Amino acid sequence: MEDLGLAYVYDGSFEGFLSAVFLAYERRECPADVVGAEQYAPRLGQACVSVATDMGHAMRVRAGIERTCGPETFRQVAEAYLSDEPDKGAAALRFVRYAMRRGPRARFDKAAPEVARFAEIVRGVYNEQHLWVQFLRFSKTEGGVYVAACNPKANVVPLLMGWFSRRFNVQPFVVYDEVHHVAGVSRDGRWNLVQTCDFTPPPAAAGDEMYERAWKAFYDAISIDARYNSELRMRSMPKRLWKNVVELKDISQGEFGEKEERRPLPKQNSDALECGQSESIRVRAE
Amino acid sequence: MDTTAKLALLADAAKYDVACTSSGIDRDASRGSLGNTASAGICHSFSADGRCISLLKVLFTNACVFDCAYCASRCSNDTPRAAFRPRELADLTIEFYRRNYIEGLFLSSGVLKSPDYTTERIVECLRILREEYGFRGYIHAKAVPGTSPELIAQLGALADRISVNMELPSSESLGLLCPDKTKESIVAPMRQIRQSIAEDRDTRALMRKSSCYMAKRTVPRKTRAFAPAGQSTQMIIGATPETDFQILRLSSSLYKQMNMKRVFFSAYLSVNDDVRLPSNNIVQLDREHRLYQADWLMRFYKFDASELIDESNPFLATDIDPKANWALNHLDRFPVEVNTATYDELLRVPGIGVRGAKAIVGARRATSLGEPELRKLGVAYKRARYFITCRGRYQGRGARFDKESLHAQLAAPIHGGSHGRRAGHVLSGQMSLFESAS
Repeated sequence: MEDLGLAYVYDGSFEGFLSAVFLAYERRECPADVVGAEQYAPRLGQACVSVATDMGHAMRVRAGIERTCGPETFRQVAEAYLSDEPDKGAAALRFVRYAMRRGPRARFDKAAPEVARFAEIVRGVYNEQHLWVQFLRFSKTEGGVYVAACNPKANVVPLLMGWFSRRFNVQPFVVYDEVHHVAGVSRDGRWNLVQTCDFTPPPAAAGDEMYERAWKAFYDAISIDARYNSELRMRSMPKRLWKNVVELKDISQGEFGEKEERRPLPKQNSDALECGQSESIRVRAE
Repeated sequence: MDTTAKLALLADAAKYDVACTSSGIDRDASRGSLGNTASAGICHSFSADGRCISLLKVLFTNACVFDCAYCASRCSNDTPRAAFRPRELADLTIEFYRRNYIEGLFLSSGVLKSPDYTTERIVECLRILREEYGFRGYIHAKAVPGTSPELIAQLGALADRISVNMELPSSESLGLLCPDKTKESIVAPMRQIRQSIAEDRDTRALMRKSSCYMAKRTVPRKTRAFAPAGQSTQMIIGATPETDFQILRLSSSLYKQMNMKRVFFSAYLSVNDDVRLPSNNIVQLDREHRLYQADWLMRFYKFDASELIDESNPFLATDIDPKANWALNHLDRFPVEVNTATYDELLRVPGIGVRGAKAIVGARRATSLGEPELRKLGVAYKRARYFITCRGRYQGRGARFDKESLHAQLAAPIHGGSHGRRAGHVLSGQMSLFESAS
């Protein structure tokens, strides 16, 4: 079982996380916590092992999981890494151990204690991604770049970019995550991720405001007063998203007064995180 | 009138159309053109009444020569009228789509001059979208009753889904409330659409087939598929005295005979004063809710309409959902053992849905399922427990296994929100609207 007196601390990157998995196998240990250095809060009397990120180890873990459990299982591990849940590392490590014994079907054993929490985390990331596929709102800026801001509960921009850059391959756009400070930049169907803390969108293009007003007018007109059901709306469209949803921005700021903001994660270095393409590009309107 | 004002007016007139789904077709993006579709459909917003906004749902025009009793846009009403220009609406759709406001366009219309003239304008708008702008998003078009078959064929070649409104659940009601529409003018286009979809599918299947050993020649697919996301329809309930039995029988035959993807119900809302319409102000939202539950059971749970409702008891129960009601009437089939029951048996257990049943089938290969495991799998355990055993033990301890006591456990009012019309209990007498007394 898990050793409550032991924690693995990695550097916060995905490769670092995979290196932690490697280390756990190498040292035959079951740490109770596998966390990024930024979030680490030691338990009483807990020994902390800091994991050195090793690209070679990470690739071996990836190859091992894909060989034994299939690429889909590895994809789920990567998705779990994008979650904001503090126990994601420990849950993913437990799942990897279980899956390496059980093979590709392990991810369906959702009733097993090793899988249940992991499946819940992956589901949470997927749900968050779907919310932003639905409710991300772009606005056109000067120079023709479309810009959207989001405040997700998980680092979902990498999962969103594939979908949006296929759909909007005829327009350059930027998706900025206000919580995790990640920007996804897409042009001609190709995309990159940039970790950046200072992102200020260029001013809106002329005429953009007209479409926002038209959309707001449509939104207000389409509702049937006799069927008013605000709980139903809030269930499908949680209020925490409203500040970035153009038709509800006014309501979320005016009627309900105070805005609750998630505490942003500490600033990180502004290197490119992971790239869909090799070159890294700057965020600017061209 | 500027576009924004026009949009507000024509969206307001379109809001009574129920369908706002973008489902039924997966179309991948293509380099150089805008848009794609996902077969599950994507909702892009939810209006204050909690209904999803997936498509830009507007009328092309709210000017209408027809005089249907229940409609806000009927010709005898004195309301402001407007019409889009085809290009104006196409531009608006593209601009909204680029901002991720919508999945596509849902275009319905009042009848301007004649059904054919109206449909020509709609076809022109869709043509601009598809051919000039290369738009690959979703388009749902309404076929106006009485449109000529040639125009329906053009419409189907541009739209993803076509629908013809059933309007009312029987031809007598239709004759009473819609003097300009006949059953034939509604059913004929439905039949044509079903026929065209089937023919188109067969042709494509033949083209794909490689029936000889010679080098494969791929036939370029020049034309779009005919209405690849199928057809749907909608009807108003509560404006006329049809029973749930008649409505469900009709919708089940539409699913079978017309290959409908969806049949939508819309609770009648009073917008006009008319002697032919019910004079009270009741909106049968709970009835609509139960009808949709029954509809879901027919589409996803392999229920037949005859299992859910019969002529002797022609209304669905309000206090209990149709699936639980069925289970209570077939207690001899329960309890089932979750660790061994087939998928179809699990699907019939109240509290276990499609996702739950699939999860159970997947999880029990590795784990023997008990209460804690079922709770993890996303099963509504507190409802399901009366109908299942886990490892041979009956889970519904504390309740007698008979119809009355289980009914008491499962009966629950429909939660309709705490602020709207359903917040109070104004609808208690709802089902007795067309009965003498209950």
